[in-house]
Amino acid sequence: MQWFHTVLALTLTAILFHGCAFSRGTLGDDINAEAVNSIKKGVTTKAEVLTSLGAPDRVLPLNGRDVYQYYRYDGKVGSLLLIIVNFSRVSIKGDDLFVMLNQSGIVEDVIWSKRTENLEFRFWPFGD
Amino acid sequence: MLRSNGRLTIVLLFVLLGALCSACNVVRITLNTPLTPDDVAFIVPGQTTLLEVVDRLGSPDSLNNSETGIVSVHRFLDMKYARVNFGWLARPWSPVDPDLIFSRTGFGTDAFQVFYDSNGIVVQHSFLRHVVDRPFHPYPF
Repeated sequence: MQWFHTVLALTLTAILFHGCAFSRGTLGDDINAEAVNSIKKGVTTKAEVLTSLGAPDRVLPLNGRDVYQYYRYDGKVGSLLLIIVNFSRVSIKGDDLFVMLNQSGIVEDVIWSKRTENLEFRFWPFGD
Repeated sequence: MLRSNGRLTIVLLFVLLGALCSACNVVRITLNTPLTPDDVAFIVPGQTTLLEVVDRLGSPDSLNNSETGIVSVHRFLDMKYARVNFGWLARPWSPVDPDLIFSRTGFGTDAFQVFYDSNGIVVQHSFLRHVVDRPFHPYPF
């Protein structure tokens, strides 16, 4: 009967764990945290921002001020390909950096958060 | 022999169940962290500032001009997709691969908008669509 248990175990394993897949996609370059932290409000100039971070993805006019927006998106896909049922979970998060410049070209404010830092591969589509 | 047949029946049933249901797909796509009214309950118009909002919710996806000053938008999506192919029921007996697919997608796109005055103080805030958290549901009718 040993062979029967082995075949049974292999069959069940094959059925339940048919396959899994990991995929990842990114849009834009990683925003350099050191470069962002080096920006000083009221001190750093537009030219210094462009030198350290490069050209922005968007330039927004905001109440007479220029706002440079830098963004990056990161997406992770986890798929559990069982024979009985397939589960997939796609998680996408974006990092957005806004640098507000006053009319003299000096940094007035910096708004930034790194949301992609805690992005994980997830497979289970239910719950949070 | 009887015990062996019983086990074989169970295995066959399991394989058959697997074959019948193998066309089920459940997919979920989330963009950013979906926000709920509880997540934004800390915002008090006239008191909370743009920096406090960014500190708690992260940076917005866009900043725009508004009549009062600035409007920030946090976009998010919680898409749910479920699909069942009942055509698989006939595959063991059919010379072709028939499909009878029921599927349903709930896009769940929403955004949270916050209006600020020229000093960066919150004037008002609201969700765009008030999306309700719906379960996975492949039945389209």
